[in-house]
Amino acid sequence: MFTDEVLDSVSVQSLWRKSQQAAQESKGCQTRVVHSAEAVVQTVSTTISSTQTEPQDQETEQLLLLLQKRDEPEPPGLRDFLQRVEGLVIRELVKNAKSHAFDGLLVNWEDYSQRVSCLHCLQHPSAQERGLHVTSVSWSCTGSVIACAYGRIDDGDWSTERSCVCTWNLNRRGLHTKQADLVIDVPTAVTALCCHPNQPALIAGGLYSGEVVVWDTSRTQDPILAQTGMSADSHREPVYQVAWVPLQRKGEFGVLSASSGGRVLLWTVDSDQGRFVLNAAYALVRQQVPHSSSARFKACGSNTVGVTSLALSPWDPDTFLVGSEGGLLLRCSFSSQTPAAVPSEGQSVTLRAPAVFSFRPRSGPVHSIHCSPFHRNLFVSAGTDGQVHLHSLLQPNPLVSLRVSDSYVFQVQWSPTRPLVFAAATGQGEVQIFDLGRRSPKAAATIVQGDAGQAATCFDFNCQNPHLLAVGKTDGTVGIWQLSTDLTEQSSRESSQLEQIANQVAE
Amino acid sequence: MAQVEETLKRIEASKGVIGTILVNAEGIPIRTTLDNSTTVQYAELLCQLSMLARTTVRDIDPQNDLTFLRIRSKKHEIMVALENNYLLIVIQNPCE
Repeated sequence: MFTDEVLDSVSVQSLWRKSQQAAQESKGCQTRVVHSAEAVVQTVSTTISSTQTEPQDQETEQLLLLLQKRDEPEPPGLRDFLQRVEGLVIRELVKNAKSHAFDGLLVNWEDYSQRVSCLHCLQHPSAQERGLHVTSVSWSCTGSVIACAYGRIDDGDWSTERSCVCTWNLNRRGLHTKQADLVIDVPTAVTALCCHPNQPALIAGGLYSGEVVVWDTSRTQDPILAQTGMSADSHREPVYQVAWVPLQRKGEFGVLSASSGGRVLLWTVDSDQGRFVLNAAYALVRQQVPHSSSARFKACGSNTVGVTSLALSPWDPDTFLVGSEGGLLLRCSFSSQTPAAVPSEGQSVTLRAPAVFSFRPRSGPVHSIHCSPFHRNLFVSAGTDGQVHLHSLLQPNPLVSLRVSDSYVFQVQWSPTRPLVFAAATGQGEVQIFDLGRRSPKAAATIVQGDAGQAATCFDFNCQNPHLLAVGKTDGTVGIWQLSTDLTEQSSRESSQLEQIANQVAE
Repeated sequence: MAQVEETLKRIEASKGVIGTILVNAEGIPIRTTLDNSTTVQYAELLCQLSMLARTTVRDIDPQNDLTFLRIRSKKHEIMVALENNYLLIVIQNPCE
């Protein structure tokens, strides 16, 4: 139980004695000699350039005046305020940059709907009886009225068939899907339609006979506000696209019309006299189309380049894009001064050649072009080859080509709310909605309405209510569809993804 | 003045900061790193919002006062530091 233990002894050395005998050392250091050198620079070439600012608004002028008063004595207390606040702000900024508190938090203010559903199917019985197709649909600027134009898309010959333009107001309580709110009779088929971007009552239309008309739906008597009539200035061939273009003076709009006769004309509306005044005229001829390196031209057929589609760039008021019957895709400029090589036929304005750059031509007519509202260089184009091509304005070759259907693609348009989404209307009767953010080449959503045999000829996104989409078909029906939330709500990464796609170099 | 500039530069140099605006008591921006129209818009809207936030805090407890306001949106975060006379608005893009 108890045993004896012998333990080692422990000694503790004295520190005090050590510190008394501590050795001392001294060290010194000296920096090395500083090297210096002299060099002299002389400019070899000089250039002089100057810029001119535009007149400023009132409010920004005041702001600038204040910002420029740098030599004014500092406002009282500013320095103290900043001293007090600086530390707090920087701490919060740093914490925020590292914080994971909000990762994966998704907030949706509106009801989340996952399905794409058909809200209404609008029909005009007398147009349907005659077998007319819907050639163009356009939402008004308020987003509540849909205007539909009837005509034929398969006609190759002159016809004297009367057609009409119908409007429905979807927000009205007594909406009759089989009876339009307003029917405007038109002597020939209507091939293009565009609602005014600011005034909800004005609609511009292009007719098969080459006339351009503006209707004023607020008038009860005679809705025609202005029409071109058959003068030397007007088109001779069907007008395939009309668009409202902002003019020099703010708030004024002109009508740009493009026809298969190779002319693009810019009109201003003279409502007192009920006619159009030709502001500028552009003619496209084969010899004046700039050749890109990959274009091979066969000089056959007529000289004119028939225009089948037109797109305005929302970023650059000087640029517009033109697609032709022969598959040419051109970038044009409003301010070009080159006179066109066509014999003058007594027009009031000299014709100019607008084409500036030519993209890789397609093998069939280009039915539709649309510029992206989110990136200044991107646009989509679609034609009869069943593919949708995503182009950059800076390169002749397309960046991305997607196969949409086996038949024609009649219209392609970017979504007004999601930068990566666009929709295409196909000859098989479907509207396919594609999301470039997804990896798969298949559509994110497909809208099929009615029978499969009828082609979907036109559609329009509603800019005011982004979940509405109107689709017009060859059986004379217009379907109003509600899109699901994931097709209309923008996520945070989309702009940068679009930027990446735009910066790709096409192979 | 140089000190004011330096302080603002330090704040601007933090990670993810998109812009800073310094607004005086009348709601007029006196220093900004963004373009004019955006600056005017931010200054107007955030002044109104800060006043509303401040009255809310003081109504609940008169001894209390607002020191800092943060608004987090899908795309970025806006931070407002306020005092009697001045407003410092910083817009940051918190990296994900």
